Amino acid sequence: MIRLTRFSRRFRSPGLAGASSPIWRMDGPLAVAVTALALIGTLLIWSSTRTWAPGSTGLLKKHLLNLGIGAGLAVAAAAVDHRALRAYSPLVYGAAALGLVLVITPVGSEVNGAHSWIMLGGGFALQPSEFAKLGLVLALAMLLAQPAAGGDRPRGLDVAIALGVAALTMGLVMAQPDFGTTMVLGVITAGALILSGIRKRWVVGLAVAVAAGGAAVWFLDVLEPYQVARFTAFVNPSTDPRGVGYNSTQSMNAVGSGQLFGKGLFGGGQTMGRFVPEQHTDFVFTVAGEEFGFLGSVTVVALLGVVLLRGLRIARLCENRFGMLVAGTIVCWLGFQVLINVGMTIGVMPITGLPLPFVSYGGTATFANMIAVGILQAIHMHEHRF
Amino acid sequence: MLRLGNPGRRINIGLIAMIFVLSVFAGRLVQLQGLDSKVYATEAAKQRVQGEKIPARRGSITDVNGHELALTVEAREIFLDPAVVEPAQREKVAATLAAELGMAKDQVAAKLADGRKRYVPVATVTPTQAGKILRHKLEGVGSKHKYLRDYPGGDLAGTLLGFVGDDGNGLSGLELLHDRLLAGRDGEQVIETGAKGQRIPMTRSTRRTPVDGRDVRLTIDRDIQWAAQKTIAEQVAATGARTGSAIVMDVQTGQVLAAANAPELDLKNWEAAPAENWVNRAVADVFEPGSTNKVITAAAALESGAVRPETVFTVKDEIRCADRVLRDSHPHPTERLTFSGVVATSSNVGTILAAEKVGDRKLHEMLRRFGFGSKPGAGFYGEEAGLLPSWEDWSGSQRCTIAYGQGISVTALQTASVYQTIANGGVRVTPSIVAGTTDEHGAFTPSAPGRQTRVVGEHTAKEVTAMLEAAVSSDGTGTMAAIDGYRVAGKTGTAMRYDAACQGYCGYTATFVGFAPADKPRLVVLAVIQDPREGHYGGEIAAPVFKKVMTFALKSKKIPPTGTTPPPVRIRAGQ
Repeated sequence: MIRLTRFSRRFRSPGLAGASSPIWRMDGPLAVAVTALALIGTLLIWSSTRTWAPGSTGLLKKHLLNLGIGAGLAVAAAAVDHRALRAYSPLVYGAAALGLVLVITPVGSEVNGAHSWIMLGGGFALQPSEFAKLGLVLALAMLLAQPAAGGDRPRGLDVAIALGVAALTMGLVMAQPDFGTTMVLGVITAGALILSGIRKRWVVGLAVAVAAGGAAVWFLDVLEPYQVARFTAFVNPSTDPRGVGYNSTQSMNAVGSGQLFGKGLFGGGQTMGRFVPEQHTDFVFTVAGEEFGFLGSVTVVALLGVVLLRGLRIARLCENRFGMLVAGTIVCWLGFQVLINVGMTIGVMPITGLPLPFVSYGGTATFANMIAVGILQAIHMHEHRF
Repeated sequence: MLRLGNPGRRINIGLIAMIFVLSVFAGRLVQLQGLDSKVYATEAAKQRVQGEKIPARRGSITDVNGHELALTVEAREIFLDPAVVEPAQREKVAATLAAELGMAKDQVAAKLADGRKRYVPVATVTPTQAGKILRHKLEGVGSKHKYLRDYPGGDLAGTLLGFVGDDGNGLSGLELLHDRLLAGRDGEQVIETGAKGQRIPMTRSTRRTPVDGRDVRLTIDRDIQWAAQKTIAEQVAATGARTGSAIVMDVQTGQVLAAANAPELDLKNWEAAPAENWVNRAVADVFEPGSTNKVITAAAALESGAVRPETVFTVKDEIRCADRVLRDSHPHPTERLTFSGVVATSSNVGTILAAEKVGDRKLHEMLRRFGFGSKPGAGFYGEEAGLLPSWEDWSGSQRCTIAYGQGISVTALQTASVYQTIANGGVRVTPSIVAGTTDEHGAFTPSAPGRQTRVVGEHTAKEVTAMLEAAVSSDGTGTMAAIDGYRVAGKTGTAMRYDAACQGYCGYTATFVGFAPADKPRLVVLAVIQDPREGHYGGEIAAPVFKKVMTFALKSKKIPPTGTTPPPVRIRAGQ
């Protein structure tokens, strides 16, 4: 709160472009890259949803509204310094956990077989699992930045507590069930633990545990048949091009047919023909591939790269352990989603329903991502070593 | 406070991993959108781009007055796309569609059952009906433009017209013979459609306009065809005959006004008919003509100058010819008949005596010039040439029997053409069935007129005509063909019928062919009845058909009687 007022005061008093305004201390490339991605994403969402009805603009307006709210949230988050952020962490985590509990009660709504939504009415809905990522990032950073036993690296108890906190969130998300988000949460946990400086043997031990767990999941038939089928289809997409391999085949057809320069905005036949399922969310990258071609899709990948690299840079330059952990874990979160989303679109990763950060349609995801960027900027502005 | 060492190194490892992943992505994009992009683009286009045939409208076949005998009507094919119908909706779609189409609901539901199918035709309906069905806006129900061939006359000129198959291409008759003319050229439309078959807006759509087929106008007169068909069918039924044919031909032009068969083919249900009934018997059935052929012997005899109409022959009721004894149809005491009398009373023996004066080579020449042994080239489908052996190959008795029409075989059309020649003053006009064609702009192109060939002199033709008039008089065998008020010339024929089934002659071919008015001939009518059970003389069973059809045709064509009286013809010596 204090920080907020200070921010507004600073913001106001010497004028918007005043030399001492923190706006000059924010990470420019990060802001530019996120803005560019958001704008490109807007075009892609527009293009892929305007064919839903003749003469419609599809989800363009709703997405712009989401982006507007997201930008506001980003600015607000950027104004919070690490002390306040740490203070809010249990609150954010708790609120997200509460949301996750609500979602699996009758309050939540089922869409596409997963209880992931809380309907707000008026066509708006919240997806608490997106905030759960944020909550877990903050909670883990808080726990691991100040080891309980003192010292500079977390020990067994810290790791156990961290794993417990993570397990609660992951368990609730798994109950929806949302396998993709659970994996993201797992990656956030792993990233936080590794960056917290735990001993190498802990890292190795956890990796072995995860591998064993993965094997157990695979061999004990815990996975839904469609999930197994997705992996099979990934290994060999031609097994059933009209069935499970359909998404992958259509996705690559759309991207590939964009060729070097693309077919132009609103010019993609595969996009207009709606061959790619979930094209405005999970497969939004295919629109870039088809309509903007290689140049467009490489630009999107490069912009995502800028976001991630700047995030890593912010983590590295942060003198504060909490800030470093938050920034680094956010990069793990966003990076993993980029890896999975772009990877599945171009056929190098199995199909997993994860949106592309800053580009895909989705209100809650946009809010969560923008808040994450805001936090990155806050860490940069307030904890930067000049 | 932070020791950067450990976490910093780990961040660096993350950085390297990230750069590695992004490089892999870039490389993969180079492959997808650069190196292999053609493959994906082609694959994508294959899904999207649909070539659709725009069928050309098949031309009509009309009678001489433009009445449509075969026409193409617009229709709609109602089809289902079971893949887009939600299982919960199937019941409703099936019920609504069944009600509209008057089908059983289960029948429609069965077509919907397989959700993997994308195109299941359900029924062909009129455009109005289709509009009604589409107004229900049922999921997965579509309509497709289609043309249907319709034959409003049912079996009217059925075998002559022929029919088309399911793809609209001619399979038989004039539909097959003039298929290319009638079919026109189909157009093509290339459109882009989306995953659910929906038209993608604003995409390219190239189109090649179809060229509609031409209309074919026949020389057939619908009314006369109908009368001929009805009359021959009734007589075939009444006599228990196997088949029958009737032909009406215009004397001056050789145009065929009617070509009827019994049984005739119902074109609305041709698949149900045995294949043998798909044949146009009037031009394709080959039979021994019998006495109708005597006009050729007579013409040859008169033309050679060896015989005059008044020439008297001493005619017994049998004659020995090579190894056989040939007889007249009825036993009679030895008579002294004029040549006219020989023809009028249809004496085989007298005809043989006349033929002996002509000689084989000249008789053969005359048969050939009248059109025997070659296809008429009238423009029918399935015309046959008949069988006319070369005179050098004639056996001893065949030399005699050919004179009265046994030992050669002809078609009904060939026989009618012989009488057209006599009626036309000795000038044969190649028979024809197609009057002309009309292109898509309505411009009519008439067929070339039939080729004219003089076969015998005008004088000979007149003398033969007089004999044929005598044959219809009370002295002749064709009395039943006489029409009140009109002068009719004609000839009966009662031939022994070769039947492959009994490997010899079993049954008869009864014929009557003639023309009217005798002194100013306009129409030729032929009636032939194959293998009748009740009666078998041409004069008894075929002549009434001739009379009925000719009477109708004369009225229909508004041909007035000439009001003249036939010249007296001496039948017997000393009359």
